[in-house]
Amino acid sequence: MNLGRIAATTVAQLRMMFRRKITLFWSLVFPMILMTLLGLLFGRTIDAGTITVIDAAHTPASTAMVRALSATKGVTIKLDQSEVPRAKKQVTDGDREALLVLRSSGGSNTRAQLYYSNTSATQAGILKGIISGAASRISVAATGSAPAIGYSATSVDSSALDYIDFLLPGILALSIMISAVIGLSTVLVAWRTRGVLRRLKLTPMPLWEFLVSRIAASLALAMLQVVVLIAFGALAFGIHISATAWAAIPIALAGALCFLVMGFTVGSLVSEPETADAVTNVITNPMMFLSGTFIPVSAMPDVVQSIARVLPLYYMANGLRDTIVRNQGLVHVLPDLGVLLAVTGVLAVVSLRTFRWE
Amino acid sequence: MIASGMDAIRVHGLTKRYGEHVAVDGISFEVREGEAFGILGPNGAGKTTTLEMIEGLRRPDAGEVEVLGQPVWPDPRSVQARIGVQLQSTSLFDKLTARELLVLFARFYNLTDGAERSTRALSLVGLESKADSYAGDMSGGQQQRLAIAIALVHDPDVVFLDEPTTGLDPQARHNLWDVIRAINQTAGKTVVLTTHYLEEAEQLCDRVAIMDESRIIALDTPAGLIASLGADVRIAYTEDGQERVAYAPDAQTAVLETLEQARQRGAQIEGLSVRGPSLEDVFLKLTGREFRG
Repeated sequence: MNLGRIAATTVAQLRMMFRRKITLFWSLVFPMILMTLLGLLFGRTIDAGTITVIDAAHTPASTAMVRALSATKGVTIKLDQSEVPRAKKQVTDGDREALLVLRSSGGSNTRAQLYYSNTSATQAGILKGIISGAASRISVAATGSAPAIGYSATSVDSSALDYIDFLLPGILALSIMISAVIGLSTVLVAWRTRGVLRRLKLTPMPLWEFLVSRIAASLALAMLQVVVLIAFGALAFGIHISATAWAAIPIALAGALCFLVMGFTVGSLVSEPETADAVTNVITNPMMFLSGTFIPVSAMPDVVQSIARVLPLYYMANGLRDTIVRNQGLVHVLPDLGVLLAVTGVLAVVSLRTFRWE
Repeated sequence: MIASGMDAIRVHGLTKRYGEHVAVDGISFEVREGEAFGILGPNGAGKTTTLEMIEGLRRPDAGEVEVLGQPVWPDPRSVQARIGVQLQSTSLFDKLTARELLVLFARFYNLTDGAERSTRALSLVGLESKADSYAGDMSGGQQQRLAIAIALVHDPDVVFLDEPTTGLDPQARHNLWDVIRAINQTAGKTVVLTTHYLEEAEQLCDRVAIMDESRIIALDTPAGLIASLGADVRIAYTEDGQERVAYAPDAQTAVLETLEQARQRGAQIEGLSVRGPSLEDVFLKLTGREFRG
C-alpha cells in the first residue's frame, strides 16, 4: 500500500469526476430541481386533503388537539357531535378525505377515532401520522407521562413533519444512490471496454489502489451532496435542520459505500455500457419508489412495506431522516448503519468473485 | 540504431492456444538491445498476442520469454517496471490533460518528479503545445503520441508499440514515424512494434519478423528479406484483364521481353509498372498470397 500514490490518484479521480458536467447535474442540480418541483407541487405541508374534526369530548386534551390541528391546512373544525353522520357520508362520497372524532372516554381521557376511505389511503396514512404526532405531543404537554389522548397508530413515520422536511432526506438518499450506482458501474465498464484496466495492469500500482481512490473520490462527492442539499433545503425552504444532523455523515458514507459496491458488482457482471445503464435502472427505479423517499412507507400497502424493509435505500433514507430532521442521534440510527454495512459486505464478496480485467 | 549485440528480448517456443485455435504457434526470436524490431503480418496473424505474452499481459501455454535477462513468467511485475507499452485499443481518461495523465502515470511508478518527466516525454513525442489539452479533445494522431509519451514517462529500456499508426491519415502516420525514430535513435530505446503496413516496417525497423497464420515465416533486415527474392525489379501488368507479377534481375531486358511475348501472342498489355521489390513481394513469394493488411 502506498498512501501518497492513493492520495495523488484520488485527486486525479476527483478531477475526472467534476470535469464531467453530467455528474454534477445528476448529483447536485437534479436533486435540487426535484425538491423544488415536489415542494411547489405539494406546498410546504403534506397535502392531507380536507378533513373534518369533530370535538365531542371538550376535554382540555381535545381542545389542545383541535387547536393543534386547526393550524394544519385543509382541516375543517366542527364542535357538534350531531354532525358525525353527515361528516361520515362526506368521507364515503369522497368530498372529504377523512373524519376525526374526539370523544370523551371517561374522566379527562379522550379517544380519537379516524374514519377514512380506502380510496384515499395515501392521505389517510399521512393523516394517521399527523394526528398521532399531535396526540403524543399533547399527551406529554398535558400530563407529563399518562396519555391524555389514547390513540393507536401503526407508525409515526411522518410525525409532525412538513412534507418538505420529509422530502429532503429522501431526495438526498436517492441522489447519493443514483450517483454511486450509476457512476461506478458505467465508469468500470468504460475502463474495461476501453482497455484502461489492461493498461493499468502494466504499471506497478495494484488495481485495488486505483479502485480505492475512485471510491474515496465518490465518497467525497457524497459528502458534498450532503452539505449542498441540506444547505439548499435550509436556505430555500427554511427546513429546520436538527442538531443531530452530523450523524447523517456516517449514514451517508455507509449508504454511498453500499451503493458504490452495488455499482461495482453491476460493472463486473455486464460487458456493455448500454447493459450497465439498463441494469442500474432496473435496480434503482423500484427502490426509488418503494423506499419511502417521496412518500412515507407507512402510507403504503402492507406488501410494499415488507418490500421496503429489504431495500438498502429504505435504511439510508430512514437514517438520514432521523438524523437530519427528526433530531435523533447516532445511537438511534445504528441499526440502519448496520444494515447498510452488512449489505455492503455481502455485495463486496459477490463483486470480488465476478470482477474481470477484460 | 546500431544494435549493441546484447539481447533485450529472448523468445523461445512461445505458444498460445484458444481452445482449438492456435493463436501463436511455437515462435522463437531475439531482439537485440537498441534495435528497432518489427513484427509484420496481416490481421489475425498473432502479432498482438505475441506482444502481450512478452509484456506479461497474457500467459503463454508453452515456451519461454525473457526480457532484459529476466523471465517474464510466472511473475511479470519486475519486467513490467522496466518496459513501456502502448496498447492497441487504449483511449485513456479523456477528462485529464496530457500533463496530468503523465504525472499520474509517473506516480503509478512511485515517481514524484512527474512534472519534469512529463515535459521530457511530451517534447519527445512533439506534443508540447498540447500539454494542457484534455486527452479527449485530441485528434487520433495526438492521442497515439500521448499514449507513447505515457509509455515513456518512467524511462523504460524497452518500448512496445502495438500497431501505433493504425487508423491514422498519412500525414499523422509520417509524424509518428519521426517520433518512433527519435525514441529508438535519439533516446536509444529498444523498440518492438507490430504493424500491418509493409512500408512502415521497411522504414522503421532494423529487422523484421514476418508473421502469418501464427508462425514467423521469415526474419531478417528489410534489405536482406528483399535480397532473398533474388530479383532487382518487380514488373506488374494486366494481360487481357489478368493481373500478373514477375520478378527479374534486369528491368530493361524484362520489360522488352514481356512486351515482345505479348505481341507474339496478340495479347493486350495494360497498366505496366516497374519498381524495385518490397516486403510485399517477400510475403507474396513466401505465402503465395497477396499481402492484405
